[in-house]
Amino acid sequence: MEAFVAGPDAASRVIPNEPPAGSYFKPKLHLISSVREVWRARVLVRTLAERDVRVRYKQTVLGFAWAILMPLVLMVVFTVFVKRFAKVDAGNQDVPYAVFAYLGLLPWGFFSTTFAAGGLSLVANTALLNKVYCPREIFPMASMGVASVDLSIGGVVLAFLFAVTGTVPHWQGLVWLIPELFVMLAFSLGITLLVAASVVYLRDIRQTIPLFLQFGLFATPVAYSLNGITGPQRDLYALVNPLVATIDGLRQSLLFGHHVQVSTFVFGLVGALTYLLVGYAVFKKLEPGIADVA
Amino acid sequence: MLPEGSVRADGVWKRFKADPIRRTFRDQSKAIAGRVTGKGGRGHRWALRDINIDVPPGASVGLIGANGSGKSTMLKILTRVMYPTAGTVTVMGRVGALIEVRAGIHPELTGRENVYLYGSLMGLSRAQVAERFDDIVGFAELDAAIDRQVKFYSSGMQMRLGFGVAAFLEPHVLLVDEVLAVGDAAFQQRCLDRMRHVLAQGTTLVLVSHDLAAVEATCERGIWLDKGVIRAMGPVREVIGEYRRSVEAQLDHELHASGALRVTSAVADGVDGGPPASQRPLDVTIALEATERISGRLYLGVSEGTATPIFVVSYWLELEPGTHEVRCHLGDLPLPAGRYFVYAGVIDRVDDHDVVPWHPITHVDLFGPGLDPTPVAVVRLAPVLVSSGWELDRT
Repeated sequence: MEAFVAGPDAASRVIPNEPPAGSYFKPKLHLISSVREVWRARVLVRTLAERDVRVRYKQTVLGFAWAILMPLVLMVVFTVFVKRFAKVDAGNQDVPYAVFAYLGLLPWGFFSTTFAAGGLSLVANTALLNKVYCPREIFPMASMGVASVDLSIGGVVLAFLFAVTGTVPHWQGLVWLIPELFVMLAFSLGITLLVAASVVYLRDIRQTIPLFLQFGLFATPVAYSLNGITGPQRDLYALVNPLVATIDGLRQSLLFGHHVQVSTFVFGLVGALTYLLVGYAVFKKLEPGIADVA
Repeated sequence: MLPEGSVRADGVWKRFKADPIRRTFRDQSKAIAGRVTGKGGRGHRWALRDINIDVPPGASVGLIGANGSGKSTMLKILTRVMYPTAGTVTVMGRVGALIEVRAGIHPELTGRENVYLYGSLMGLSRAQVAERFDDIVGFAELDAAIDRQVKFYSSGMQMRLGFGVAAFLEPHVLLVDEVLAVGDAAFQQRCLDRMRHVLAQGTTLVLVSHDLAAVEATCERGIWLDKGVIRAMGPVREVIGEYRRSVEAQLDHELHASGALRVTSAVADGVDGGPPASQRPLDVTIALEATERISGRLYLGVSEGTATPIFVVSYWLELEPGTHEVRCHLGDLPLPAGRYFVYAGVIDRVDDHDVVPWHPITHVDLFGPGLDPTPVAVVRLAPVLVSSGWELDRT
């Protein structure tokens, strides 16, 4: 109790106009300790993701069917308009275009859900941010959890599509599945962290999100194949847009039974990790002031 | 390493942006660039300056002060929601925060889902929350409504849920901001009871409130924040007393005794020239100056500092123009030791207007015994000293 008593001299002490120079708070970037903090808060990520999934389908009639419907509708749209009318095919391969398009739509859907919800997750959760402490990156991460639920449901639909069209997935695809999904995860999280923290300070970014997603749908080989691009151009493409590596890798290995182009994958991986590191660094740098402006 | 439940702030400063002027894209990007490179902008004001506090585990501290004095900012910094601009803050253990009414309550979720969500925010596992779940529902009196979406709750239900969750998940440190202002009297009393219980379990409590009686009843220590600076810190009664005095002194300046009658001086003395003492008589001598014929009732009261007196006595005055002296002899004062304020006012009986407005005329320091302590969360209305004799027999 004694340590608490600072009464008399607290009143008489002269308080300077500025804090002493050395005492200013500096945000520090400790990669390992922040990862550890997130790991400790993993239950929270799960709870928040669960909350978002529940909130999304509360008071809807179709409920979770929406998670299946959205990619299916896009797939039908692609099959009718892109394949029939625009005569884009699955890259001279003898595979059903529907499966081909769906393999592109799943990673793209994962990215766009994470990005659209995660980018606004801090702004949307200001009520929590201002009252309870937790490592802030769990909000974008929870959005990724929601996207993962969609992805899992989409995976079941994919298996169903394989069965219906009589297409047999190739076994190499299963080996490559984990690293390819990792590239997608790292890229999605990196960009989302970057945007989530920036939006808090600069709300203009919010307006650009739908535009960016529309642009991304064309800049990613969802509807078309990568056959037209080869060599270093293709690697550069994967470096800038790591989803290229994921989608192309999945199609090559799972659908065509070809070998995955290792250089494309490596460039995609390097690109995704760079996005993740930069996004995380910016996020951590901006984090301290979030409660002041949110 | 501090023990669990400690709250410590060393040289904490907090700066906010000054006034939100027109902000174009260029200003914004400049501001962000400034933040990223660590060179803060120029326009700012200090919301907190050089705050040093050290609360040991199990202590209860009340933060008091006027609106805008930095109380809520301080609490937000203690919850780690806000970062201090300078200085360090250490809070050991699990923190339960009740800032504004619905801390962490999400309107789209059901009450049950909210309890689990808040539990994980506090770092509890699902099993740990499940153990306490029935207590929370019982305290919040929600029963079947627990599976209803919170947006369909009444505001009272939301608040009960919020308080129940924060207080029953057994935090090491409980930070409470102005929750007692809402809710009916019965619920306020139950909140105070629960806080007392939580305190008895060894939880550290930091309470922000304008309700000085609640602070005095719940906290053993007080911190008075004034324009972002700690003005006083110590036993809660002393700090609250000092705060009240400063408020009164401020009001004093605003009062101008004018008109036909004014108090020129006032003195309060013990009997026979001795010091004023509790359970002894007190003589109050008031010098008055009238510019015209006055008839009215003189009221005289004694308070702890506010305009709300502990008791009031009155006397009918008929004054001719000129100076007068009124002496009031108060019998044995039933007040404990401490500083008291003597208030006076003269009311005209004819049209009920103030001839002299009710205002403090002098203060008096009483010597003598203090009050017996009250149990935590029991609010005493006025400090009345009653002598008591006790007997205990085995029957």
